[in-house]
Amino acid sequence: MIKFVGVSKKYKNEIIAVSNINFTIDNGEFVFLVGPSGAGKSTILKLLLREEIPTTGSIFVDKKDITKLKRRDVPYLRRNIGVVFQDFKLLPNKTVYENIAFALQIVEAEPKYIRRRVPMVLSLVGLSDRANSYPQQLSGGEQQRVSIARAIVNEPSILVADEPTGNLDPDTSWEIVKLLSEINKRGTTVIMSTHAKDIVDSMKKRVIALERGNIVRDEMRGAYGYEA
Amino acid sequence: MKLNTAFYYIREGFTNVKRNRAMTVASITSVTAALLILGLFLIIILNVDSMANQVESQLELKAFINDSYDMSKVTKVGDEIKAIDGVKSITFESKKDALNNFKKQLGDKSYLVNGLENDNPMPQSFIVKVTDANMMKQVAEEIKKIDGVTQVSYGQDVVDKLLGIIKIIRIVGLCVILILFIISVVIISNTIKLGVFARRREINIMKYIGATDWFIRWPFLVEGIVLGLVGSILAIVILGLIYGYAADLVNNKLVIFTLLPVRNVLRQTLMYFLAIGSLIGALGSGISIKRFLNV
Repeated sequence: MIKFVGVSKKYKNEIIAVSNINFTIDNGEFVFLVGPSGAGKSTILKLLLREEIPTTGSIFVDKKDITKLKRRDVPYLRRNIGVVFQDFKLLPNKTVYENIAFALQIVEAEPKYIRRRVPMVLSLVGLSDRANSYPQQLSGGEQQRVSIARAIVNEPSILVADEPTGNLDPDTSWEIVKLLSEINKRGTTVIMSTHAKDIVDSMKKRVIALERGNIVRDEMRGAYGYEA
Repeated sequence: MKLNTAFYYIREGFTNVKRNRAMTVASITSVTAALLILGLFLIIILNVDSMANQVESQLELKAFINDSYDMSKVTKVGDEIKAIDGVKSITFESKKDALNNFKKQLGDKSYLVNGLENDNPMPQSFIVKVTDANMMKQVAEEIKKIDGVTQVSYGQDVVDKLLGIIKIIRIVGLCVILILFIISVVIISNTIKLGVFARRREINIMKYIGATDWFIRWPFLVEGIVLGLVGSILAIVILGLIYGYAADLVNNKLVIFTLLPVRNVLRQTLMYFLAIGSLIGALGSGISIKRFLNV
């Protein structure tokens, strides 16, 4: 469960990124975070990953206030939250397999477990035949699948996707969202920030809409915007 | 720490070492240079120290007797010396003995004093052994009071002088070493910084997937320590070769003093070198990763 309670974030240059944000996301939900650029979507994700600390307010992840987390405990929070970025952030000098295995190496998983787990995730994202390719040999959609595989390989309970389809064409975007939805069905909470109106409208999932740092709408089975 | 994680750190550390060849060479050279200078000072200190010890351990002083005194008067002076508290034994060294001893000291250059037998300039003296080094000064004062004793010289003078020299060498050496130490740390930290910079994407990703700070830090620490250790081993080898050659030269050609054998010197400096080398490396890398970990 994720809970934002009266969260405001003011950056050093006095820009107010988000102000008095309140929402709760239950386990297993699929939530779209929508709004124009600069509305505060990225800030909310950064706050959730403890990349930023709110100026005021509390953020709970599984009943633990992560704003009070000690620096050395942050990695353990992040192991429970998988992240997918718009620009994939794959390591170019590692193969697909190695990129995914790397996430398990970091949490000091047993080599035996890594050898079993990586092929499983690869088949889940449909890239079993690309295990030994390098990221630059893959299409954008394939690269994003690799990054999703990396994000879920150590079975986090939450998956955060920051505009995961921002660099992809509409068809590929759909495949990625279907994959995220598939992961969500297996019990992972998914939070996805996006500008993709079509996707949001037809998915009929919960939508949290932000404008100038405020939540302007929070609907179950929502759409991208009023004018839609 | 799991074994395969440790292997990961070491493998990644060595990958870093290989990545920036030029900077790796610069780092190792600076550590080697710093430690060579350190070694030079250490060797000087060790040798002067050993000289001071040698002089001190002899526990003897020399009482020079008026040249005009004949044997009977000399014997009387000897009796008076023997009576002093703290004197263990005395040996008389005649003018002739003194000259012969000096000749022996000069070895194959003894021809320098040929022809002095008839007009022997060496003084006659008593070599006085003392029971306790601390009594030296007191005994010397007592002997000085005896009629016919012209001068008393004892090792303490030399020891004091040597200790004074050691003190100066230590201070100068410490300053020079400190400066070189800092320079080495800075150079290594710059080397590591390049590696960290080359891997900033990777570090950023690692932070996102939940790597601990230490997991990220270790490969760079390994890199720094490797640079430091290689530098110190090089310094030891160079120092051993040069000092070995110098010690041979001095001990064979000169007779006034001897240098400590190379093996002793290396045994005493080896551990310092390795410790300081790795400390320089660890410090250098520690400084440079700190900034990059704040994600």
